[in-house]
Amino acid sequence: MLETLKKSLAALGADGWELTENKTRRWEFYFIRHALDQNRAADTVNYNVKVFKKLEGGLLGEINPTDTASEVEKKLSDLLSRASLVKNPEYSLVSEKITLPDKTERVDIQKIARDFIEAVASVPETETEDINSYEIFVSEITRHTLNSNGVEYTAVYPASMLEIVVNARREGHEIELYRQFNSGSCDKEKVRADVLAAMRTGRDRLAAEPTPRVENIDVVLSTEDAVSVFEYFTMNSNVQAKYRRISPFEQGKPVCDWQGGDKITVRAVRELDNSSRNFPVDAEGSVIEERDIIKDGVLCDFWGQRQFSQYLGIEKNSVISNFVFDGGSMSAEKLRSGDYIELVEFSDFQVDSMGGDVAGEIRLGYLHKDGETKIITGGSVSGSMLEAAPTMKYSRETAQYNNIVIPAVVRLKNLRITGVK
Amino acid sequence: MAFYGVIILKAIFSQYLASIAPELKRLVAILGESYDYVSVLSTDSKGISLTISQRAKNVTTQNITTERGSVVRVYKNGLYSEYAFNSFDSAEKLAEKAKEALDSQLALLKATGSKVYDTAKLDDSPAELFVEKDAEILPEECDVGEFIRLFTELSDEGMKTIPGALDVMVRASGTHINKMFLTANRDLRQSYSYVEGLAASYAPGKDGDMKFTHVGVSGCGGMELLYGLREKITTLPGIMADLVASEKIVPGEYDIITDPTVTGLIAHEAFGHGVEMDMFVKNRALGKDYIDKRVGSDKVTMHEGARCDESVTAFAFDDEGTLAGDVTEIDHGILKTGICDALSALRLGIEPTGNGKRQSYDHKVYTRMTNTVFDSGDDKLEDMIKSIDHGYLLRGMQSGMEDPKHWGIQCIIERGYEIKDGALTGVCVSPVVMTGYVPDLLCGVTMATSDRVVEGNGACGKGYKEWVKVADGGPYLKTKARLG
Repeated sequence: MLETLKKSLAALGADGWELTENKTRRWEFYFIRHALDQNRAADTVNYNVKVFKKLEGGLLGEINPTDTASEVEKKLSDLLSRASLVKNPEYSLVSEKITLPDKTERVDIQKIARDFIEAVASVPETETEDINSYEIFVSEITRHTLNSNGVEYTAVYPASMLEIVVNARREGHEIELYRQFNSGSCDKEKVRADVLAAMRTGRDRLAAEPTPRVENIDVVLSTEDAVSVFEYFTMNSNVQAKYRRISPFEQGKPVCDWQGGDKITVRAVRELDNSSRNFPVDAEGSVIEERDIIKDGVLCDFWGQRQFSQYLGIEKNSVISNFVFDGGSMSAEKLRSGDYIELVEFSDFQVDSMGGDVAGEIRLGYLHKDGETKIITGGSVSGSMLEAAPTMKYSRETAQYNNIVIPAVVRLKNLRITGVK
Repeated sequence: MAFYGVIILKAIFSQYLASIAPELKRLVAILGESYDYVSVLSTDSKGISLTISQRAKNVTTQNITTERGSVVRVYKNGLYSEYAFNSFDSAEKLAEKAKEALDSQLALLKATGSKVYDTAKLDDSPAELFVEKDAEILPEECDVGEFIRLFTELSDEGMKTIPGALDVMVRASGTHINKMFLTANRDLRQSYSYVEGLAASYAPGKDGDMKFTHVGVSGCGGMELLYGLREKITTLPGIMADLVASEKIVPGEYDIITDPTVTGLIAHEAFGHGVEMDMFVKNRALGKDYIDKRVGSDKVTMHEGARCDESVTAFAFDDEGTLAGDVTEIDHGILKTGICDALSALRLGIEPTGNGKRQSYDHKVYTRMTNTVFDSGDDKLEDMIKSIDHGYLLRGMQSGMEDPKHWGIQCIIERGYEIKDGALTGVCVSPVVMTGYVPDLLCGVTMATSDRVVEGNGACGKGYKEWVKVADGGPYLKTKARLG
């Protein structure tokens, strides 16, 4: 199919084209308690083609592996005639030849799947905390990127996901905790530690009392929910957000009106240990540059798609897959001092990158006030990053969540807690 | 042999699927020599997606439901296994590939000492169905230039009329769904089209934040439904003016009135996810213990099923070959039943309800919602407002999160309009986080209007994955909730 496509594209008369071939081999296992609910295997290939007339934005379509040569020709011809209707400012496709070697090491999905099964099986369960169900997804993805300027690159990489539900119970009352862990392959020790941590959280939640009314108290986040706080900065550093006038960030200027908070530094990196997004070349054929995005609270430059980058006058750019935030000025221990409320479990914690709104229903937290600690549940947290970011403090220690490294603990002011009593 | 009926309208069934059906039937027969049950679901769904704004235009023939591929489901020794593929080969070669992949998996499972969740065999009594639903303009055949012009015109109009708008984006997508389900004894084929469109705008708020709002249209049919955006977009200027001037709400418990989009969000989060019966199998849903018990006031009746509305999810059969249903989940406040996929139904000893859905052919089936809708009442909106001393009329859903195990609910709502002494004060608050305990929320329902709106823009996940099209809605409801 790839040769058919290349031949048809060469004869099409387009002013440019981009082609991505994605091959996926995936194994999936679904367990209820520890009994196999279902096993699944998938073996698929997808061809995404974008054709351009005058390089004004192009039109993206999918070619099926089952299409005949004449069907491919007709689809491409239809794409091209429709592409001429999509009028955007012109931009150029990637033309720099890729000197990096292709990443071709095969992924042993059988071994990774086995590691996940064994890691979950190794978690010690008790009468009061156990595993309800889990789902294992292990993929080998082969991404082959080509364009009309002769750019070509192939990357083979693993992508895995473990979804697990843990139960905890006390005196006839049972609760559950949902976790979704994304990674490249399986880090057995980390899986085990993460599941055990979820069980501990469950134990505490059973002992929780309703969140009281509290005012003017700092909020501490120390779990994966904190990723949303830091993604507010990466999302607003994206070229599309800027070009669409959604982002308030300006190149060379502070990303917020810093008022004593730890100033953000975040870097783009090509690869992160065990990330599920370790491909050194983006889908447009740009080699991912390792560089600072924000340094000491000031935006160095926007990152993202070539089209919107060029509209902003950035000639060379790439779509970043892995981010690393620097740690802050204090230790995690120091951050956890005085009065504060540490929230560790939500129904769904959200930070709206567009407006900065923060919201989440609290499922578990620890209220530290006047030297006492109460385990609390219920109510919600709300507020805005516009008010919280300028003074936020975060820990020197960092933590990795798949494709992002962030400070392990962050302390925020100016958020509101709505209690339930 | 059961014969369910024929509807011949305008969304013509995929010639590609018709052409591969004989070979797929051979595949079923070949695999049938090794397994006790075999089915194949094949899809060929073409579509379009357009995004037009002042800043950029984007058109693609892909969206979240476009796909072409097949999945084989086999059963032996109490275990169901699946193999998904999208390259077509002879039946013999496909059978060989499927068996090789699944046998390798079974070897791993044996090596790790994994036990099987023993499940009975699916029914395969004979059935045939052929459905082609109505659609004037199929998504894959639409005049792209005409819709680019229409959306550009709407965006331009919005820029002139919406106060402070930084951009007005019009986004639409549509898919001509074609699915074929085959077993040794069944041949089900369906073809229908759905579309969804929204006009969205954003503008700076008074506190330096960004305010975002949108209006939408959706339904079962062709691209012609998108012309409805012309009328809808006329409401955006007023909404944006309210948002820009909005204040923060003082947290507390209030009397509330929910508009149909917020009512739909409650339906979806409260007793949508809460009664997906694959969660009953895992003992993950409190609803299991509340069948025939009160979970809402007498004013609360709720339906679920693909047959409840001609929406974006109005299929004729689900992804396991079960015919579309219409289930009364809550009848005057009493929880009667949930919704169920075929395998969970076998495990629970009940009949499936036509709610077995996949994100795509290469994803697993889960119990999923279709149309989740509160029934209408006989009250008037103005009487609801008059009945409130201090509360809010909540409009515009943003997002929600389910908690089937504990019946907590979290809904993020775009805006609330203050009501004092039986009248709207003109004060708008935004955003509003509504949280609470589902039975409290539903038992608090004292009034419901006689109208009803069902919408299906966006997608629903199970946990944080498996995105499928759903629709929900209902009338205006009056109840109490905690807002923050």
